[in-house]
Amino acid sequence: MATKKRYGFVINVSRCIDCRACLVACSVENNVPMNHTRIWVHDLGVQGQFPILQREFIPWNCMHCEHPPCTEVCVSGATYKDPDTGLVLVDQQACIGCGFCVDACPYDVRYLDEKRGVVDKCNACLQRVEVGMQPACVATCVGGSRMFGDLNDPNSEASIALKNATNIQRLDYENGKVDTDPNIYFINSEALGEEVVLQSGILPRPPQYHLEEVGWKKVLVPAVFAAIGASFLVQATFFTKQLLEGEKEFEE
Amino acid sequence: MSNYKSIPLEERRQLREKKYKKHNLANILTHWFNVAMWLLLLPTGIAILSSPRLGLSPVWWQELYRNIFGGTANLIRFHYTIGLIWVFVITFNLLIGFRRYFVPFAATRMLLDKDDIEWLKIKPLQMLGFQQDKELPPQDAYNAGQKLYSYVVILGTLGIMLSGIVMTFNTIFPPVLKRIAQPTHWVSVGAIIAGLMIHVYMGAVFPEEKEAFFSMFSGKVSAWYARAHHEKWYFLKLQEEVEWEDKVESEVREATEDRQLSAHPQQPG
Repeated sequence: MATKKRYGFVINVSRCIDCRACLVACSVENNVPMNHTRIWVHDLGVQGQFPILQREFIPWNCMHCEHPPCTEVCVSGATYKDPDTGLVLVDQQACIGCGFCVDACPYDVRYLDEKRGVVDKCNACLQRVEVGMQPACVATCVGGSRMFGDLNDPNSEASIALKNATNIQRLDYENGKVDTDPNIYFINSEALGEEVVLQSGILPRPPQYHLEEVGWKKVLVPAVFAAIGASFLVQATFFTKQLLEGEKEFEE
Repeated sequence: MSNYKSIPLEERRQLREKKYKKHNLANILTHWFNVAMWLLLLPTGIAILSSPRLGLSPVWWQELYRNIFGGTANLIRFHYTIGLIWVFVITFNLLIGFRRYFVPFAATRMLLDKDDIEWLKIKPLQMLGFQQDKELPPQDAYNAGQKLYSYVVILGTLGIMLSGIVMTFNTIFPPVLKRIAQPTHWVSVGAIIAGLMIHVYMGAVFPEEKEAFFSMFSGKVSAWYARAHHEKWYFLKLQEEVEWEDKVESEVREATEDRQLSAHPQQPG
């Protein structure tokens, strides 16, 4: 989906020290309940053979995909890809909290807020971005691992960092009709050269679709459309006949 | 058997003049209230359904309604509000008129009998062009097709209302109910729409049933229409009329006898 701006994150993996200040900053900024988070840092553990050892941390949050599978399943359009900013947002006034999107997300970045009965996720701190500030996680990142900006604009910080990097990787999920095309670009350690570090196997996972939604799509839609179609045909046949034959008075 | 075609001209004229009451005011008002609410709820409901995976409504339609109402949340709020009014009024009418209108209606006009089963066997084939020589069995106030559709409407309405309430008050229901409510809502509407196309066509456009349309305003149909399309009901009405005539006659007879008695009191022996 081509959008005016394409806000995205660029994350320099080698600069993340797993301090998790971004988690705290995000939760404070966005009033995230204590038992949830919108942002994660995954520890890959120690890798390599002694004496060459490597330890990486992968921070991630909503990838604001170009083709998000989560908006595909939302029945009411409460979650959508914003055509202006390119962010994937949730209109919580419209959301009924059914949870179809929570399980459809290959990156598992959505959660169901039980208290409010709505789905919540990273909105790239749109309230801050709109007034020219960085998202809370980016502003607070001590190692300068996180960068944020309009990827359509070649002069944004994120675009420049991406231009200068050599070992770029995305956690793309591609399977059949689903191709997420995520907007988080990970810059891997230069020391590793061509080797790719993000092989955790945790992300992405295949999108999960609920029986209610799949059954609706595969069984109920054809059945109901067949019924409505048949009914329409009957009605249309009689109507055409009526139009062709004309109406007689005193018929009733 | 419906042999109304052999009724001679003079009698037909008389039958056309005579009117029978088919619908009471409560039914007429509830019917048109229902129509108004459906006209508001159906387009907005279709506009809300925006999942590209399901692909149930055209994008221009979704955008049109989101623009009219100023966003998804407002559109849904409107649908909620009208829906709640609909649920409240229909439930209220049903509860108020349950014993007086609904129970007799269900008992006398909704149950399928042997003739109805026979009708259901013949009519679909006739519509497809077979068995044109066969005669349709006589029908009640509602024919077998209408009776069947009434079950679809009642169950569908119940499904729409319950699932709609779950989705409207989404903060108090668990997610699994909200997930089931969405396809339930859609299927209930779909089932009603499938019948509704025939219902609207037969009721408002089809020439032979023209009286049915006007009866939804006046509540009355002509005896000729009743005789031709709802024979059993017509004879029921006729029987009621004869009973009423008998009652009036005996009433008049008794009253005149009483007056004669009081005018000429019998002298004691």
